Amino acid sequence: MSKQTLFNEDWLKLQQKYWEGLTEMSQKAMGMSAPKQSPWEAAMEQWWRAVSPAASNPAQDFMQRMMDQGKNFFAMAEQFTKPLAGADTASDGWEMLNKTLEQMQNAFTGALGDGDESVRRMMGFWEMPLDNWQRMMSSMSPVPGDFLRNMPHDQVKDSMNRMLSAPGLGYTREEQASYQDLIRRNLDYQRAMQEYAGFFNKLGMKSVERMREFVQSRAEKGESIDSARSLYDSWISCCEAVYADEVGTPEYARIHGQLVNAQMALKKRMSVMVDETLGTMNMPTRSELRTLQDRLQETRRENKQLRRDLDMIKRRIAHVPAGDAPSASAAATPSGADAAKKKAAPRKKAVAKTIAKPSST
Amino acid sequence: MFPIEIRPDKLSEEMLDYSRKLGEGMENLLNAGPIDTGVTPKDAVYCEDKLVLYRYQRPSEVAQQQVPLLVVYALVNRPYMTDIQEDRSTIKGLLATGQDVYLIDWGYPDQADRSLTLDDYINGYIDRCVDHIRETHGVDKINILGICQGGTFSLMYSALHPEKVRNLVTMVTPVNFKTPDNLLSSWVQNIDIDLAVDTMGNVPGELLNWTFLSLKPFSLTGQKYVNMVDVLDNPDKVKNFLRMEKWIFDSPDQAGETFRQFIKDFYQDNKLLNGTVMLGDRPVDLKQITCPVLNIYAMQDHLVPPDASKALNGLTGSQDYTELAFPGGHIGIYVSGKAQKEVTPAIGNWLNERS
Repeated sequence: MSKQTLFNEDWLKLQQKYWEGLTEMSQKAMGMSAPKQSPWEAAMEQWWRAVSPAASNPAQDFMQRMMDQGKNFFAMAEQFTKPLAGADTASDGWEMLNKTLEQMQNAFTGALGDGDESVRRMMGFWEMPLDNWQRMMSSMSPVPGDFLRNMPHDQVKDSMNRMLSAPGLGYTREEQASYQDLIRRNLDYQRAMQEYAGFFNKLGMKSVERMREFVQSRAEKGESIDSARSLYDSWISCCEAVYADEVGTPEYARIHGQLVNAQMALKKRMSVMVDETLGTMNMPTRSELRTLQDRLQETRRENKQLRRDLDMIKRRIAHVPAGDAPSASAAATPSGADAAKKKAAPRKKAVAKTIAKPSST
Repeated sequence: MFPIEIRPDKLSEEMLDYSRKLGEGMENLLNAGPIDTGVTPKDAVYCEDKLVLYRYQRPSEVAQQQVPLLVVYALVNRPYMTDIQEDRSTIKGLLATGQDVYLIDWGYPDQADRSLTLDDYINGYIDRCVDHIRETHGVDKINILGICQGGTFSLMYSALHPEKVRNLVTMVTPVNFKTPDNLLSSWVQNIDIDLAVDTMGNVPGELLNWTFLSLKPFSLTGQKYVNMVDVLDNPDKVKNFLRMEKWIFDSPDQAGETFRQFIKDFYQDNKLLNGTVMLGDRPVDLKQITCPVLNIYAMQDHLVPPDASKALNGLTGSQDYTELAFPGGHIGIYVSGKAQKEVTPAIGNWLNERS
């Protein structure tokens, strides 16, 4: 594939045009609403759609991550620099910065307005820890993570609890109780998830404060931040520093443990219900399989030990001069086996497979 | 003074530069081809269940030591980290010092392996690998190098089978699992491990990945990809980066019963430090380790903090205990250029003096 196909100059021109427009616009007025998606992002995505089918899966994934981070990176720079372009004095600059930081705080409190799309895009960065959790849990569960995360909880908590406390009746009593338990565990998980998300929101707000302090300290030292990259790196440093402070606390350990435990309890309830369904169809259940796995492993463990002891006994007998060989029963005593263990180097035949022929790397 | 001085034209320039690098780097990504790992030629010499014991081919120009060395890697992640690329290989470095190197590859446990216990791993698999090597070489004792969790396993093995271990090297090995700076430990204290293992059976590698990435989420899932754009124009660096990416996300599931015991006894109850670990029906007493011990830790290790490893000092019965501090992190101790120059030769020399 030629370089030209991969890397289209039109794409760069489009971005150049966007930035020229933005520069002009920011000089005329402050606070104009940003487009939903910048042409830079749009052009990048269009380009990616065109070239990505040629890439292998790992390369696609890798590239996608760089594109996503690039978007966060520039969304942040855009958010910080757009209002500042209209500032004539240092005090104007601080005022604009405070406004930007306030918007970032709003993103964590859920108080962003409809016109704050660019802030929302920038703060997508903060979704990463939660997003990673969602992806990981979704991969392990039949229920999509987002479904659980966004389900309203506080509003329905009391009525749901009352409903779930009602005893089951009649022929399907057990089944009703089972579903009530499932819903209860689901609610517990949502509550844990919301507390976890709330912790991250607080953490985010503290990071914004840390960023403000950082900018102030740069001003006091007379040092400037003159590139999007250094701004982004500073923001990451602030976030990681606050994160490290907060996630080492007992409070976080509690919230984290609660989240994992709630997810496991929910998943376990689902497994029990799946097992019950399988049982009704006369199919093997997970629980039965595990019992068999445990018994099989126990048998294998004993078998391997017996083979080992047998090998030692055979070796011991082989080393005894003819006529002095102990009876089989004497050799098989534990003390006989222990003595053999001390004397002889071990040999194994049936337990494991020794590979005679070298294989390739 | 107002410190943010990012002019729109400069911002535009940065953005175009980022886009250009990304576009040009795509060529290198497309040309990267399959990601090879584990570069040193090796032979599979023994296998059992999913375990494979490898013996690395020795360079003919180096005088060989008579006492073979067994590398015991962790169950978490894959052992090719020790041999990740031609110029970043702990294995290669050890071979260069004359060691006859064996390595246990644990494979990828599945649900059929759920019932494997720590006792099965240590007194079963490791012991049979050690016996195989002893028999092959006609020696009573061999050298062992344990890495991370594999180091903890090696300590317990050496305590229970001291007659088979000549020298023991532990690298970034946790011994005190509850040092104040151990985030992983802090996070598992409130987790109901029985519930988790009973629910999941084996513990998925994805869960471990998520946990490790959560230690520094913004750097590890965000910033590193932005940084990578700067070196996308270098095909070798792209390939090296992809190798590391492959390793980071190549996480085997953990056998449920082993995970249960490891987290409960070690991370939650700190039994190795307290001397109360039981493997099967046998207590583990680190004082039974009387062979020479070399304990290596990384000073910037965020997974196994230095104090977690240094706790070994005084716990064994060895009269020949040495510590080596490496100025780097948990991964850098295998793959950094500095480690190739300092750590691996130090291990080789230490072993040669005692073999």
